[in-house]
Amino acid sequence: MQIYLPIAEMSLNALMLLGLGGMVGFLSGMFGVGGGFLMTPLLIFIGVPPAVAVGTEANQVVAASVSGALAHWRRGNVDIRMGVVLMIGGFIGSTLGVWLFTFLRGIGQIDFVIAVSYVLFLGIVGVLMVVESVRAWFRSRNPSAPRRKLHHHTWLHGLPFKMRFRRSKLYISALLPLGVGVFVGILAAIMGVGGGFVMVPAMIYLLGMPTSVVVGTSLFQIVFVTANVTFLQSVNNQTVDIVLAMLLVVGSVIGAQIGARVGSRLRGEEVRIALGLIVLAVCARVAWTLVVTPEDLYSLGIGGAH
Amino acid sequence: MSALKRWLARCVMTLGALCFAAPATAQSIVVDLSTREVAISTGFTGAELLLFGATEGFGDIVVTVAGPRRDEIIRRKERVAGIWVNGTSVTFEKAPAYFRTAASKPLDEIAAPEILQRLQIGSDRIDLFTRSQRTVENILTFRKAFIRNKKRQALYSEDISDIKIIRGRLFRSTIPFPVNVPIGTYQVTVHLFKNGQLVSSQKTPVTVHKVGLEAKIYNFAHDQSAWYGAIAIAIALVAGWLAGVIFRRA
Repeated sequence: MQIYLPIAEMSLNALMLLGLGGMVGFLSGMFGVGGGFLMTPLLIFIGVPPAVAVGTEANQVVAASVSGALAHWRRGNVDIRMGVVLMIGGFIGSTLGVWLFTFLRGIGQIDFVIAVSYVLFLGIVGVLMVVESVRAWFRSRNPSAPRRKLHHHTWLHGLPFKMRFRRSKLYISALLPLGVGVFVGILAAIMGVGGGFVMVPAMIYLLGMPTSVVVGTSLFQIVFVTANVTFLQSVNNQTVDIVLAMLLVVGSVIGAQIGARVGSRLRGEEVRIALGLIVLAVCARVAWTLVVTPEDLYSLGIGGAH
Repeated sequence: MSALKRWLARCVMTLGALCFAAPATAQSIVVDLSTREVAISTGFTGAELLLFGATEGFGDIVVTVAGPRRDEIIRRKERVAGIWVNGTSVTFEKAPAYFRTAASKPLDEIAAPEILQRLQIGSDRIDLFTRSQRTVENILTFRKAFIRNKKRQALYSEDISDIKIIRGRLFRSTIPFPVNVPIGTYQVTVHLFKNGQLVSSQKTPVTVHKVGLEAKIYNFAHDQSAWYGAIAIAIALVAGWLAGVIFRRA
């Protein structure tokens, strides 16, 4: 069943898009991640223009994160104060990011920057994830091994503008979460992701937040930041395809529910090793497109893609 | 179906007029198209127009179709530290986004190259303008690459010997529009040649536009992009919230 996507200006099989949404939703439900970092490269692989893939994915992540954010909110797992600081940073970062995106698109380098960002971040996060989970897996088999300290004191804790975050039991400089928010905001705009895969480790290891509020606060921030990206991409680049986003949303919400049920039966470390390997596989696939000699060295620019 | 019937009726009348016409119109051609509007709707996977015409006496027919003109950029990738990056680019100003040539026999047998060049027949002869300061050879390489890329996207095409002339009078040809066809006005030109000389030309415009929901969404996204963005967010929020509610009950 072919469906014409009005913004992507191409015809794709609606059932395939629902299936794609379902598959990524299943993985995101199983692993508790947003799934944007898988969906955007997959959309690009099936031929959606990278700019449209990124803009549309931001819109899909809004839908994918809001029910999770609400659920965590109800259970009181959101550090609102922290969330708001992260959100302010996120607004600044995503606004900068969309501006950068528009600029790079104009000079014909956006596809390249999207691909390089994916290789870089998926590579780093994938390796860290696999290494960390393999270590944890060995620790669980050998409980006598010494545990690492979760919270280190560094120069970061000497920064000014200290704020008290009661819910996270932290007294740290507001510049820290603000900086994390800005950085994740830029990534959200350029990569079409929520940025949870960067923010969650940053919240745990950099800010030292307790894991109980990390996911809820991260989702809270992601909803606002991806909403801002959706708005700015719509205004600046007209690259948000509502029809494509809706098909993906329908597929992914169903997939996520099934995935969450399957995921709850699996062991944490093993799930994280599997996720790490998937992340590395996507990274390798994107890296391949950068190094392999293209069939034709010449390509039509955005004037031709419209 | 009724549109097709109307069209067939029109063809019959056209032919009738031609058959009984006085010798004054001996050198003319009459052309009609299956439709003058290509509508892009939800199920659009490309379209094929049928061009149908009649001519008095024997001759060679050439059909060209030129799509909406706009600035087109062609970029060359260069290897930097093992990675392929877009490097130099050339912008061709007001180049046709779509270009097709169909003929009743090989072009060089129909007319001299100068005539073909003047009439812009064949994608190798399209006039492409650029302000680029590169060398002529360089521009020519970009020009070739541009046409090659356009052909790969099926936006430029050539179909020589595609036109069948029946009994030296009736001819028909197809004009394929791929799914990525740009919206705008297309100029269909039919030339009649006799003994290497242009005898007659006939121009017909065709418009390609989006219709229905597709058109509404596209226009909304481009004309009122702030509202579009706000509505995209609202839909996503409601969809996500709704999914949460449904699955919490289940």
